[in-house]
Amino acid sequence: MPLIEVLPNSGAVRAPGYAYVADTGYDPSKVAINPKDRKRVSHRPGGPPSGNELSARQQTAIARRIAELQRDNDPKQIINPPVKPIPKTSATKKILLSNKTIKNWLDDEEAMLQLQQQAPPPRDPARAARALVNRRLSTLASVPGTPFEANSPVPSIPAAIPRIEDATMSDDPLLSISKSVPREPDRAEIEALLAVPPLPYSASFATSSAGGTPQRFFCDNCGYWGRIRCLKCGTRVCGLECKDAHEGTRCLKWA
Amino acid sequence: MAPRGSKKGSSDPTQNQTLVLDNGAYTLKAGLISSSSQILPTYEDCRVAPNCIARSSREKRVYIASELEKCNDFGEMAFRRPVEKGFIVHWEAEEAIWEHEFLNAKTGLRCDPKETNLLLTEKPNCPAVLQKNCDEMVFEQFGFSNYYRCIGPTLNAYHPPTPSSLSSLPQECLLIIDTSYSDTTILPVYSGQILHSAVRRLSIGGKLLTNYLKELSSLRHYNMMEETHLLNEIKEAVSFVAHSTQAFSKDLDRTWKGRIGDKRELDPSIVVDYVLPDYEHTSRGYARPHDPVKAMMRRGLQPMQGPREDILPLGNERFAVPELLFNPTDIGIQEAGLPECVMQSLSALPEALKASMLRNIMVVGGNSLIPGFMERLESELRAVTPSEYTLNITRADDPIKHTWLGAARFASNPDMLKSVLVSKAEYDEKGSTWLGKRFATRAANDPLEL
Ligand SMILES: [Zn+2]
Ligand SMILES: [Zn+2]
Repeated sequence: MPLIEVLPNSGAVRAPGYAYVADTGYDPSKVAINPKDRKRVSHRPGGPPSGNELSARQQTAIARRIAELQRDNDPKQIINPPVKPIPKTSATKKILLSNKTIKNWLDDEEAMLQLQQQAPPPRDPARAARALVNRRLSTLASVPGTPFEANSPVPSIPAAIPRIEDATMSDDPLLSISKSVPREPDRAEIEALLAVPPLPYSASFATSSAGGTPQRFFCDNCGYWGRIRCLKCGTRVCGLECKDAHEGTRCLKWA
Repeated sequence: MAPRGSKKGSSDPTQNQTLVLDNGAYTLKAGLISSSSQILPTYEDCRVAPNCIARSSREKRVYIASELEKCNDFGEMAFRRPVEKGFIVHWEAEEAIWEHEFLNAKTGLRCDPKETNLLLTEKPNCPAVLQKNCDEMVFEQFGFSNYYRCIGPTLNAYHPPTPSSLSSLPQECLLIIDTSYSDTTILPVYSGQILHSAVRRLSIGGKLLTNYLKELSSLRHYNMMEETHLLNEIKEAVSFVAHSTQAFSKDLDRTWKGRIGDKRELDPSIVVDYVLPDYEHTSRGYARPHDPVKAMMRRGLQPMQGPREDILPLGNERFAVPELLFNPTDIGIQEAGLPECVMQSLSALPEALKASMLRNIMVVGGNSLIPGFMERLESELRAVTPSEYTLNITRADDPIKHTWLGAARFASNPDMLKSVLVSKAEYDEKGSTWLGKRFATRAANDPLEL
């Protein structure tokens, strides 16, 4: 038998702790996950509608829930192989004994990146990282290669370096694709493109653009449209019935 | 075993057989490929095994990878996966799995690393430290004879575009959409080489979808938080992607219970009851049309005599879960949905390449098997593709094994393989930092010379 248990039904009807909200399409949770979006929001005409603002607590709650959904391994469940591998060198001993998670490794990478930039922490790490890559590209093309690189066609590229478009610069990626007649890419352009080093992990995400599809809100309990908002935690529900269920289960769970 | 290229003298250390390994977070795909046989590898040569160690507290035992095939009771099974976010992190577990699957004479492929080349695939944007760990393990712990590590989906360029035209490989422009367990990545590939600056990622993958379904089912019905395996099985059995945003809204209405005083009937064409396995008589569950009466009967209300059933009703969960691939903001993940990811990737390329990439899009990875996924992706991409561009998008015949097969076909060509392999002797002489640079730069040099 799988481990299952019937969840308790929600309690008796209480005094209404909800508020009606109008769906405006403004997405307050953007601020929660991408603090860098604050600037964009404050620049929007009229600013964010007041009814949709998320408290710091709500933002933390959303971030925690997503982290839980993204988790690969349960830190409480350490499962060791029946036979422990015997390390053969000092390097592999260190690797085999490491308890670091991917989060630790990625945090390390971010810290390295910040050091390399020797500048105050960027507001938008993704954009900063891509800018770094573009800088590296221009270095690649202008500085004589190491002996190994000298065998490659890369250093022979003329001064003209192709412009690597920063996808986040334009809010509508389509704009750039629809104009101009496609021509054959020249060899130098392609070789320079091939020589670009990988982006750091954190810079590889496609960011949601401000002009993208409007945010949709769902009932936290049943998944239907979330038309009313719980005053305690800010979560959306579809009606009174689900509000009661919500208060009995998930209200403030992630706070 | 004499290396094939013996004409070049005995100094050629390349082995005749290559272990081709697509080491995914959920499953590993592996097979031994001979470089002397003239036969092109097929999906049949690929062996798929769970890339995990699992512990059953009921049976009081630990399962390693393919041992799980013999398991009938997944109740409360706990998993440890060596691969996190697509990258090998926990080498102690991975070592045990590789040992069991490849080296062990009884359970594995019986391959002796000293006489084998390893072609290992990785995800894009892997932190350099983890690549170094991997390289050190391959040579210093396992002792493979020769080794090449590269971004897996790029090897899909080595599938013949038409069955008989191997000579034109690698394909010049190929846009790979890899939607797998850890995440979804967009990879523009030029002549078998990745265009790094245009790689884009969406953090939604099969893992998140399963976890989300687990969370919803636990909230709405039973506590199933320890039943990851079962929820994955249910996800694979019932999920579908709505045809469009409009269809999504319609389906949401059809599966709503209504409000007090205005109860609605659930649409039986969408709502299903999943009969849960009891792991005594049945080891797998199944879906059947929703029956409101039976769904009301929870454990305890059922007769003590005769078969008892546990039913999980599924309505909007069926399509709201995979919808995250298209609208990650639905649960507050501030990333672009899949079609916009593709456009953002393309916008980082020169005009001429954009057009060629749009003409040759290949989708791989398990999420592409969700019914409706390809239709929705294609129609949303078409809507944002200017009419003067041709859009061609196909799903691989077997999206789970396809990247492995591309790698296997690459490995079956001795000349291509030899040009990228690094021998253990060379590694011992030059070290892991050198090797990391070599794999990173080699990528930029070779394809134009092939
Ligand atoms: Zn509701
Ligand atoms: Zn609440």
